[in-house]
Order: sequence, then C-alpha cells, then structure tokens
Amino acid sequence: MANCRNIASAFCFVIPVVLCVIALRLWPAALAFAKSFEVSSAGDLGFDNYINLFGDSDFLNSLRVTILFLLVVNPLQVGLALALALLMNAALPAVGLWRTIVFLPIAIPPSVSAVIWGVAYRPDGPLNAVLAILGIEPQRFLTSPEQALSSIIVIVSWVGVGYWMTFIIAGLQDIPKSLYEAIMIDGANAFQRFWYVTLPLLVRPITFVLIANTVANFLVFAPVQILTQGGPRGATDLIMYQIYTRAFDLGDMQTAYAATVILVLVVVVIVSLQFYVMGKQDREARHR
Amino acid sequence: MKIRPAIRLTAIIGVALIFLTPLWWVTISAFRPESDIFAHMFPINWEFMFPRVLSFDNFVQLTQSDFSRAIFNSCLVAALTIVIGLLICASGAFALAVIDFPYRNAVFALVVVGFLIPFDAIALPLFEILRGYNLQNTYTGLVLPGVGSGLAVFMLRQFFLGIPKELREAAMIDGMSWFQIFWRVYLPLSPHALVGAAMILFVFQWHAYLWPLLIAPAPDHKVASVAIAQFSTTFETRYGLMFAGAFIMAAIPMMLLLLSQRYLRPSVSSSGGKE
Repeated sequence: MANCRNIASAFCFVIPVVLCVIALRLWPAALAFAKSFEVSSAGDLGFDNYINLFGDSDFLNSLRVTILFLLVVNPLQVGLALALALLMNAALPAVGLWRTIVFLPIAIPPSVSAVIWGVAYRPDGPLNAVLAILGIEPQRFLTSPEQALSSIIVIVSWVGVGYWMTFIIAGLQDIPKSLYEAIMIDGANAFQRFWYVTLPLLVRPITFVLIANTVANFLVFAPVQILTQGGPRGATDLIMYQIYTRAFDLGDMQTAYAATVILVLVVVVIVSLQFYVMGKQDREARHR
Repeated sequence: MKIRPAIRLTAIIGVALIFLTPLWWVTISAFRPESDIFAHMFPINWEFMFPRVLSFDNFVQLTQSDFSRAIFNSCLVAALTIVIGLLICASGAFALAVIDFPYRNAVFALVVVGFLIPFDAIALPLFEILRGYNLQNTYTGLVLPGVGSGLAVFMLRQFFLGIPKELREAAMIDGMSWFQIFWRVYLPLSPHALVGAAMILFVFQWHAYLWPLLIAPAPDHKVASVAIAQFSTTFETRYGLMFAGAFIMAAIPMMLLLLSQRYLRPSVSSSGGKE
C-alpha cells in the first residue's frame, strides 16, 4: 500500500523532468538522426546526405578550421588555467579579490564579449592604439585571414581561463600538505615537488577541465556569427556556424541535420571518455 | 615554487589588471559622452582610460530605445525560467534522492545521460519541432529550453541525499504526504542548493544567444543578448548605447555571481560524477 503511494508520488515528482529531457534533448537528437538519412521527400533512406556533406568543400574547410581551433585553444586554455592556478594558489593579501577579477569575465554573455572585443579589434580601436605607442604597425585582426581565428581564440580565452582556473585551484587545495613535507625531507627541489606531487594529484581536475573545455569550445558560435561570419575566406568557419549557415542561408536542412548528428556524436563520445577516464583513475587510486 | 611573495603578488596583480582592463574600458565608455569614446586614442593618453567628463546620457538614451524592451524580455524570460525550472528540477531531484521507487537508477541515468547532450548542439532540430507548434516569437518558446537542467537536478539531488532520513521519517509519522515533506521539510532546508540551481538556470538564459536568435527574432520578443549584437549591423552604430547596453548585460550577472559566490564553490568531487 505504502509502496503504491510511493510509486504514484514519485511518478508525479519525476515526470516533468523526464519529459524535459525527452522533449529538449533526446527527441531533437533522434529527429536529427532520422532526418539525416532521409534522401527524398517520399521518405527513402540512404547515406546521400552524409556523402554530399563530406564532398562539400565548405564543410571540409569547416572541419579543418574547427580541428585547428580545438588543437590550439584547448591546450592554451588548460595551460593558462594551470599556470594561473599555481600562481594564485598562495596566501597573499587580497588573493580572493584577484582570483575573482580573473574569474569575472565568465559572467559576461558570449554575445556581449563578442561585441566589445569587436570594437577593441577595430582598425582605429584601442588595441591598435596600444600597438602604436609600442611602435607596431596597425593590425587587421578580424579582417585578416591569418589573424581572425587567433583573435577569436583571444576572446574565448579571456572569458574562459579564469573559470577553468577555479577548478584547478580547488584541486590544488585538496592536495595534503603532508605529501610536500615528506618529499622535502627527501631533499626534493621545487621542480621535483611539482613533478612528483602536484602534477600527479592534479590529473583528475585537469582531465575534467580539459574535457569540459573541449565541449564548450566545440559550441563556440556567437563571436563567429557576430564578428566574422565565418570569414575572411572561411578562416573562422567553426562547426556551429557552418551548421547554422547550412540550415538558414543555404536552406539545406538535410546536410545541416547530418552535420548536427556528427557534432552530437563527437561531443557525446568525448563526454563519455571523461566518465571512463575519471572512473579508471578512481579504480587505480583504490588499488594503490 | 619558491618565488618570493612580493614578486608573486606583483605578478598576480599584473594578471588581474590584464583581465580587468577590458571591463574597465567598457565601464568608462558607457559612462562618458558618446563623442569621447574614440577620443584620446591616437596617440593614446591617460584620459582614454581615466575620463575627465562623465555622463549618464548613454543610459538615458538607452531607456528611450528598443533595447529597454529587450532587457525587459531578458529579465522576464530569466525570471520565468528560474521559477518554473526550480519547481521541475527540485521535484525531480527530490523523487530521485528520497522516494524509493522501481527503476529509480534507470530514470536517474536517463536524466543525467540525456542532459549530457549540449543544448546548442540540438538547437536546430528543436527549433524545427517548436516551429511546428507555432512557438516562434513567444515567451513559451524562449523559456522552454531553460526549464530542464541536468546540472541543477544533479546538484539538488546530491544535496537532498545529504539530508538525514530521520527528518522525513518523523514527518511521515506526523502524517505528512510526500508533497508536504518536499515543500515543508526539504525545500526550507536547502536555500544554498536552491540558490546554486537558480544561478545555473539564470546563466543559461542570460547567456543564450543561438536559441533566441532562432526562436524569437521579432522586436517584441527579442532578448538583450540578441539585441546587443545588432547594434553594429544597423545602418549606423550607436557606440554609446552599445557600451551602456554591454555594461548592463555584464553587470547584472556579475552582481548576482558575486552575491551568490559563497554558495557556489566549484569542486571536481561534486561535478565529476564520483558516485
């Protein structure tokens, strides 16, 4: 009797969130999957959309740009976050204030950070004004095929690095002081302390940050759409913008769905990898 | 790492200043006359970063522009998302943490795994679905994607698991229903977790750009994150209004984050799925 009441109540409590996950994630993902195999309005199925997609030079360019972007931005952001965490993990005056300042840009909406950096990057903007007093010629930044992607990387890193830093600081503060005392009795120098104690014990937070950061960077859209529209000459055509232009500028929903399916699969594999790697670390830690 | 504290502190302050400079520049540009925004730059001098003349003109003009409507829309969408989202996420988390029912772990796995799909990645097919229900340019279409959050459910469930079960046993002996236990025992004990979940829901909506761009492009339902990006695509860019708008859009989440910071200690052990 009590059990029946439990089931009925539990159903009422849990059904809204279950409906949300179905309606807002699983159903759209399934729809994109089904539509990506539809090759005619009569409902015939096939791989044509994927074949067309991988034969499209714009899409291949977007893949190349996205991979290049991720290969640069992820190590850069994780490295900077680690360096900032090591620097700021000290008992110094007002260190909480300095950390908060570095963390603050994450609060700014992506479209707002894009707009303000867009002004900063203008030919007659403040960045070129600063370069001028250093005696450096004005740079083109967003309008240069060579500099546009780097300019986007600067924007997303200014926003993200402080946020990822907080996770690594939390990891640093979880390291027992006794480990440092032990290795110092053995006469370890600063580099050895870092290499044999700090770094091994940071593997877990760094793995988490690397993967969460990778997923976030896969989804970068606002700065591209607002500032460069994928250009100049496709230099900043990241995958989210490529899908958006396919669907709404070209009106090619079939290949846009195929690209969506690829994006979702890649992201889900990366996130699963996180659970696998971190689970493995836990198991190994228990065996030690 | 034996850096002398003075050198380390100098480096820390230097780094903080680098991160702060763009924010400071946005702030002073919002509060100086529009004609001064691009002044003092070539050659650059101190007055560029420390203006002698301040003015609220940009904000006054902003209230008379379409942007005030967009800010109102953003606030309304965020508020509705927080209220509805907290009800949905907290009640789901309550059932998953407290009530014993068959397949509970399977339902929890469904919720966690489903929400691992990032929202932006499936924004396009969801847009096609909601367009089929005529939810373009409606508050329903704007609010709906924000009300379910896997992170909020996960966080609230973790918190509810930590509330001693003696409390609900006592409440049941007193004849409370599950709903009363949820409403009168669990929620009042969880202000920290609820503030944290509210911030997750708020930031999702305040930062949303792709979704509102798709679902609500019309002026009467346009939100501020979309409106601010269109200042520079119109015929003539009003930089004063743009900086004032950027200042408001940045200041609101920053204030809320600072106010709720002590509720939101990031920790890998609570977000990395260490069950």
